[in-house]
Amino acid sequence: MTPEPRDPSLAFTDVRRRFGRLRVLTGVSGRVGAGEALLVSGPNGSGKSTLIRILAGLLAAEGGAVEYRLGSRVLDIAERRRAVGYAAPDLALYEELTTLENLEFFCRLRGAPTGRARELLERVDLPLDRLAGALSSGMRQRLRWAWALLGRPQLLLLDEPFQNLDPAGVEQGTELLSRHLDAGGLAVVANPGPLEIPRVRSRIDLGRGLGR
Amino acid sequence: MSDPGSTSAAAWVAEAAAVFAKDWRCEFRTRYALNTLGLFAFTTLVVVSLVLGPVGVAPGLATTVLPVILWLIVLFAVTAGLPRIFVAEEETHTATALRLAATPSALFAGKLLYGFTVVLALEALITPLFLAMVQLEARRPDLLVAALLAGGYGLATGSTLVASIVAQARGKSALFAVLLLPVLVPGLLFAVQLTRAAVGGEAPGVEVQMLLLYDGTLTVAGLMLFPTIWNP
Repeated sequence: MTPEPRDPSLAFTDVRRRFGRLRVLTGVSGRVGAGEALLVSGPNGSGKSTLIRILAGLLAAEGGAVEYRLGSRVLDIAERRRAVGYAAPDLALYEELTTLENLEFFCRLRGAPTGRARELLERVDLPLDRLAGALSSGMRQRLRWAWALLGRPQLLLLDEPFQNLDPAGVEQGTELLSRHLDAGGLAVVANPGPLEIPRVRSRIDLGRGLGR
Repeated sequence: MSDPGSTSAAAWVAEAAAVFAKDWRCEFRTRYALNTLGLFAFTTLVVVSLVLGPVGVAPGLATTVLPVILWLIVLFAVTAGLPRIFVAEEETHTATALRLAATPSALFAGKLLYGFTVVLALEALITPLFLAMVQLEARRPDLLVAALLAGGYGLATGSTLVASIVAQARGKSALFAVLLLPVLVPGLLFAVQLTRAAVGGEAPGVEVQMLLLYDGTLTVAGLMLFPTIWNP
């Protein structure tokens, strides 16, 4: 469960991105170190998800730089993509596979022991043999949490991580995040509203939303 | 966590095998590709047999024309079913998880292997039926098997590569057909020639070597191009 201590850090400078004529990110900078969380807030359409996808390497920035370090080594974008833990509304798993089959498949891709899948599903209180397509929206969110932690990542990128969760699920997610940070991991968390999460060292407010 | 920068050969093979196994597991539960390809091929086969049955094909033309019809049936069935290899990943948003977890070339290899086995299953189903329905004999069964294996592999490789390109575009079906046909034409020509040699009982020319060269070129091109196509 605990990330390996390799003194990770994430820094991004002047990140810019537009979609057609719509400017979504106009020079966003931030930094987060081991054991810290960075909270990104802003209304719908302000670019939170875009920033998280750029940090994950899922979307190319038009300008600026993203630097994810493990110790003295800077990971390139392909390495970063496979090293992060990511949970976001755009992440879906295979509906025709069970929760356990889904996570075991991704364990094989990430070179993690398949026993990790069962361990995480039990931790987020999900049935092992339920088809992913038959999960409620809250259960899907729990599955995303489990998926994000699969490869014992140092860096967690969480976009609206408590969406659709019941109070028990919110408590569980907060505890998972606390443990991750206590163990020296780091996290960037995006949420439209205020959020009670531990170890927030810095905040970014992306300001205006729709129609900018 | 393993070092994110390293992927050993064994890990690469394990990733490709995991993708292959996952795709077949999903296929057994949905039966989308098998049903689409199988029904399309079977319907075309019945139509061809009904048209050719009463009039037949002039004896001198049978070995020339019928192999072309066989490969056209396989081609159109593949065009109907194999784009799903990548389109389904984009449409159901599972592509995001794959992008974050898989080594691109291993993902391509796993998908290619899955597509190839689907094409082989299709060929195994329709070739005996076709030969029986049009009363055509393969005098060199070894050459027929070689044509189906090497030609089917070329179809699967070209389809997998083109499917990965069109998956992220609009108008996927039309674009798939437009891009796929030029890629597949050289391989299909060699496959048809080899099938003609098989039914005519002739010694093959350079078709086997050319098909293998075509298959190898497409495989290398796919493995090299796919990471660029797949990631932003």
